[in-house]
Amino acid sequence: MSPQPRILDVGCGRKKYPGSVGIDMSPAGQADVLCDWTRTPFADSTFDEVRLIHMIEEVDDIFRVLAEAHRVAKPGARVVIMTPHYTDHASYCSPAHRWHLSSFSLWFFSEKPAEYDYYAPAQFRERRVHVTLLRIWRALGLQFLINHFRWFRKFWEYYLCFVIRGKTVEWELEVVK
Amino acid sequence: MPRILDVGCGPTKYPGSIGLDMNPSTAADVLCHLDHGGLPFRDNSFDQLRAEHIIEHVADIIATMEEFHRVTKPGGTIFIATPHYTDFSSFRDPTHRWHLNTYSFLYFYPGGMHGRDMWYTKVRMREVKLNLRLLNLWRALGFEFLVNRSRFFRQFWEHYLSFVIRGKLMEFTFEVIK
Repeated sequence: MSPQPRILDVGCGRKKYPGSVGIDMSPAGQADVLCDWTRTPFADSTFDEVRLIHMIEEVDDIFRVLAEAHRVAKPGARVVIMTPHYTDHASYCSPAHRWHLSSFSLWFFSEKPAEYDYYAPAQFRERRVHVTLLRIWRALGLQFLINHFRWFRKFWEYYLCFVIRGKTVEWELEVVK
Repeated sequence: MPRILDVGCGPTKYPGSIGLDMNPSTAADVLCHLDHGGLPFRDNSFDQLRAEHIIEHVADIIATMEEFHRVTKPGGTIFIATPHYTDFSSFRDPTHRWHLNTYSFLYFYPGGMHGRDMWYTKVRMREVKLNLRLLNLWRALGFEFLVNRSRFFRQFWEHYLSFVIRGKLMEFTFEVIK
């Protein structure tokens, strides 16, 4: 039997991912470890999966948090990120939300210009991007189109998304070391 | 020769300018971080200051504009390019702190705040030119021409249309008043 995958849930809150190690800044949730997102007490290449669910929109510096996730993840590990799309009402519902993001906000991890190494030295490969929409748009098939055709997702981001509004964006990245 | 400062010059510095950036792997002549202290130049050093795709990244726009204003000569120009807040690119970069529109710099115009000067800053400048760009489809349909041609139409567009007929890039040219 293969050993259990080691999963880190960053900003786990009160709904820690089953079987994971949870970290958070508040003792009110289910955290196993209380610490800063950018200075976690784990050794390099510890986890098979790192989850950042509805937390990157609140941090001071997204790149530094992702750099720490990269450090503690094993080579080839999965990093799952979920955040509100900037056209969703949820993006503006919390005064703790500093960043309003789109489905292309992590584009430079897969096609990074050379000078970007300075800002975002961590290397990831984008495996999957998934956008969810409100029910009415999903029923009309638009969520299917956005997630199956990259060109349609781009057209939607440029021309349609203030009318056919987004809900969440989920990325699956692969850690490259 | 006019003295030109290109703030956040990146790899393609404006020809004939002094380039300033925080990133050493750019064409910068001077390395400086806008959020950590002021610009390393004397008052009234430049005839022109350019900041293309910079102002949406800084921690404090007002403090940054105060530095831009300080190092630019009276009557000199400040050129700022930044995405309109309805553009895709405003939300594509996870280091964009601010989402701006064509009225965001009224803050610094004489009488810009409903006929009064803004009392939180000493920066005063005049909008000499604003070039607003829209996506290809809207440009082809003549909307870009209209928003640039008529102040009235631009106001109508900002209030009623801009989430459908979305903006792209704003290029402001300001004249420094001291």
